[in-house]
Amino acid sequence: MPSFPTTPIALLTGHTGPVHALAYSSGAASYILTGSADRSIRLYNPSKAPLAAAQNTTDLGLVNKYSAHGYEVLSLCVNDNNDLFISTGGDKTVFLWDVVTAQTVRRFSGHSGRVNRGVFGGESDSVVVSASFDGSVRIWDCRSNSHKPIMVLDEAKDSVTDVVALDGEIVSGSVDGRVRTYDLRRGICEVDVMGHPVTSLEVSKKGTEILVSCLDSTVRLMDRANGQLLKAYRDEAFVNTELRVRSTLGMNDSVVVSGSDDGMVFAWDLLGGECLHRFKHSERRAVNSKSSNTPRVKKDIVSAVAFCKSRREWTSAGGDGNVVVWGMPR
Amino acid sequence: MAFKRPRANSPTSSQKRTRGNGQTGYVLLGTELPPDKDSDDGTFVPEWKQTVTDERGRRRLHGAFTGGFSAGYFNTVGSKEGWAPKAFVSSRSNRKTTDTAQRAEDFMDAEDLAEAAESRELETAQSFATIGRVGEQETDGFFGLFMTEEETMGVKIAHKMGWRRNQGVGRKIRRGVRLDDDEDSMSSAHMFAPSDSRVLSAAPQDINRKGLGFQSEARLGANEEKETKDRPMLALPFLDAPKKQPTKKIASKKSSFGVGVLNDTGSDDEDPYELGPKITFNKTLGKDKKAKKPSKFAKPGAGDKHVFVKKAAGKAAPRSTFDGKPPLRGFVLTIQSVDLTTKRKYPPPKIPPGWKSTKSNVPVSTGDDYTSVTDAAKASTLDAKGRASLLGETPLPGKSVFDFLSKEARDRLANLTGKKDLPQGLGQTAPEGYSSSEKKQPKDLWSFVPVLDKATAAAALSNGTTGWMPYSEDLKKRARYVAFLELRSGKKHELPERPTDMSISEWAKELEGFVQAAIAFRPATGLMASRFTSSTSSSHPGSGDVEKASETLLRKPEPKPEDPAEQAAKMGMYGAMTRQSFPFYPSRLLCKRFNVPPPPEVPHGSDYTSSEYGFKGKTEEPINRDAMNKIIHEAATRGNPMMQRPAWMNETEPPSGEVPPTKVPAAQVPRERVEQHAKVDVEKNEALSQERAAEDVFKSIFGDDDDDDDDDE
Repeated sequence: MPSFPTTPIALLTGHTGPVHALAYSSGAASYILTGSADRSIRLYNPSKAPLAAAQNTTDLGLVNKYSAHGYEVLSLCVNDNNDLFISTGGDKTVFLWDVVTAQTVRRFSGHSGRVNRGVFGGESDSVVVSASFDGSVRIWDCRSNSHKPIMVLDEAKDSVTDVVALDGEIVSGSVDGRVRTYDLRRGICEVDVMGHPVTSLEVSKKGTEILVSCLDSTVRLMDRANGQLLKAYRDEAFVNTELRVRSTLGMNDSVVVSGSDDGMVFAWDLLGGECLHRFKHSERRAVNSKSSNTPRVKKDIVSAVAFCKSRREWTSAGGDGNVVVWGMPR
Repeated sequence: MAFKRPRANSPTSSQKRTRGNGQTGYVLLGTELPPDKDSDDGTFVPEWKQTVTDERGRRRLHGAFTGGFSAGYFNTVGSKEGWAPKAFVSSRSNRKTTDTAQRAEDFMDAEDLAEAAESRELETAQSFATIGRVGEQETDGFFGLFMTEEETMGVKIAHKMGWRRNQGVGRKIRRGVRLDDDEDSMSSAHMFAPSDSRVLSAAPQDINRKGLGFQSEARLGANEEKETKDRPMLALPFLDAPKKQPTKKIASKKSSFGVGVLNDTGSDDEDPYELGPKITFNKTLGKDKKAKKPSKFAKPGAGDKHVFVKKAAGKAAPRSTFDGKPPLRGFVLTIQSVDLTTKRKYPPPKIPPGWKSTKSNVPVSTGDDYTSVTDAAKASTLDAKGRASLLGETPLPGKSVFDFLSKEARDRLANLTGKKDLPQGLGQTAPEGYSSSEKKQPKDLWSFVPVLDKATAAAALSNGTTGWMPYSEDLKKRARYVAFLELRSGKKHELPERPTDMSISEWAKELEGFVQAAIAFRPATGLMASRFTSSTSSSHPGSGDVEKASETLLRKPEPKPEDPAEQAAKMGMYGAMTRQSFPFYPSRLLCKRFNVPPPPEVPHGSDYTSSEYGFKGKTEEPINRDAMNKIIHEAATRGNPMMQRPAWMNETEPPSGEVPPTKVPAAQVPRERVEQHAKVDVEKNEALSQERAAEDVFKSIFGDDDDDDDDDE
């Protein structure tokens, strides 16, 4: 098994609020988009912001700033062509941005609560799927100028925290503890009861497994075909009971990485289920001890992690407003 | 039709116009008219100057080359393409119907149409020829307008019977010939038809078509006078008499602005718009105007001087009746005219002295002397009997309640109500035939016994005999419970016993609790019942641990039965139990955007509407047969059932959602192990034969949901 990247290689600074959203650019994944509670979105080039230099100067490696949000930014998604991206947040609106001009191309409004997640979907990113606090998943058409959604999936009884758009399927996770898989081909929605509020979803590359974060301090890998539990990832120090933290699969779906409520980042072996590494985000170092004995700071949270699809590199972002890029030592 | 007058090619001598003013024999006066270009006065015009006109005088040949006939747009019809007559199209399949028959207008061009329109003139139909006839002012304008000249049916019948116009009706009378009112020529007497008598028009006088309450202008009175004078149809001359009297004109208070046509008396001297006294202004230039002559017309209301023309009060001469005949014998013509118009006026009735209208404002009654009915009733000292005697009622034959009350009870009542005037309690005993109240009580108590379905009661009872029964901590209560179930299942008919220390309300509440317990602890039926066998060994009500569990189940009844899928998920039994599915209907556009074929049941062309596809979903059966087998199998093969018991059932363990992390490798369900199970012989169900999982596990999952499963069966 290849070694896990444990060295912080870059630090992206400049946000004045907790960073809730992270997204690598598509393709070469050389850029990182960050969305923060300070209502701004920033585009960084992490290779221009080495850790040593970035500790002293802010905004190092900053490429562009995108400001139109009036509330916190909660999710980001870049399309395959790298020319558009979506941002959602507390303004109940899905923003479709042009990367170069830093202007919004479309604004989809219709949700009655904050939008927790917005992703591209459909063939050649022709739709935007958004999941909202109002308990609905709305699918917006990028190709037409219609201001109405193509479809509203409002089966969820509580806030929908995450949504994944696959080829012919839409998976949504909700605080009512259910993962709903809408199969467009069969016209059947399958509801998997997780028993605990679902905060994050990630589907493996094969598309047959789904990683589900629940608010019982557990990340589960579920078999999408029959809803069975493949693996549960826990740790004594892993605390995730009240905040929406992201979890992700990385390194060709061999590791599971998740943020936590107390500023730690955990990496598990996907097959074995044992915890490989623990990282302290604010201190930018790996922690070996099983339990973090540092007193818990309120703002210390890692709410977003993102794994680079092309390199052995991943990113964590949290309450301190800094984004740490972890990679292999050079 | 164009025509061209034949002309000589060269001017004849007579046509030769003499040039200049060579004629000496004529004296020319005035200016010569310019030569008329268009007139064809026969003078010679060379051919090239001549124009070709049609019969309407319009030029027919145009342009540089005028030899051709230029028919078309510019001088014939109104379109560039020329005039096209209406086409007649008729085929075998599509016949030209005759209702759109060809008219002459279809073949006419604009010119012909204009000509035809000219020749048409508007005429009234013959029967309406009276419209606008002169000399009939008497008939009211609008009523006469629509009357036709046709004779009425009565006239026609009279004609047939020999009546002629301007004849009277009746026997012929013999009289002399009247020739031009020459009465003297009594040469010979013939039979003549009686002379026509004038129609008695009974039209009421006061018909005027004015609005209700309209007071016409006073000045119009003069006009009215004239009207009545001219009325020829007025058949009752004596009615005219009051009109003839000059009425005194009252100056109208409600005069309109300005002066109307009717108010114009015709004299120009009077300026109705002038203000102030007349003397002050001099309106003539030069010399002073002479003093005004009194107008010959009475100008009512205009001047300060009224000139009354005295008229004869009435005719003194004896008048004849309207038809010229003397009055009938025994009747005398009235001299006095009957005044029908002025109605007699009666004085209003005199109001008797001291009468007061109820409508007049009632003096507000002061609060002191006002007593409401209830106050009055309270103030009265009469009791029911007193009132009855006051009203003269015969006393009721029955007895009062107080007759049966004991004295103490009556006093207590009086103390409680604060009324001292209650009748005395006589303490009589109940009459014969009426049992005491003690014996009557059970029948009333039946109303407190709640209803329970007989099948449910029987099932709960049978459950109690085979399995366990609630209220194990209170055996007396359990006995009452059993008695209640026996009653409701029809085995017994006595009222459930009530402990002496229990009030009726408590007892009723306890019975209600029995009903709930019976429903809750009814055994599983149908499919679920066939899946489980009742326990004989472990969960006897006497054993301590399970009894504790059952007590916790009893003491804290779940307010809402939890979803079994939820419970299964909390226990980590993910899979078929936690999976439900329902159909949903993606919109076609969504399928198009995802480039997937839409599911077949999506109605074509429909788009998403939340009302249409709202919550149509049907939950599938949560647990199917092989899933259940698998669960049982897993539970059976995991070993010690106490190890698997979820944490919430065991207070000693930390309350985490699943098996504690230390036991992860043992408790998890890896895929390899599932595949191992596939080798197990299906025919022999080890789950039932060997070892069973703790009953509470199943009970907690499936215990309360029997009803649903029954419905699904």
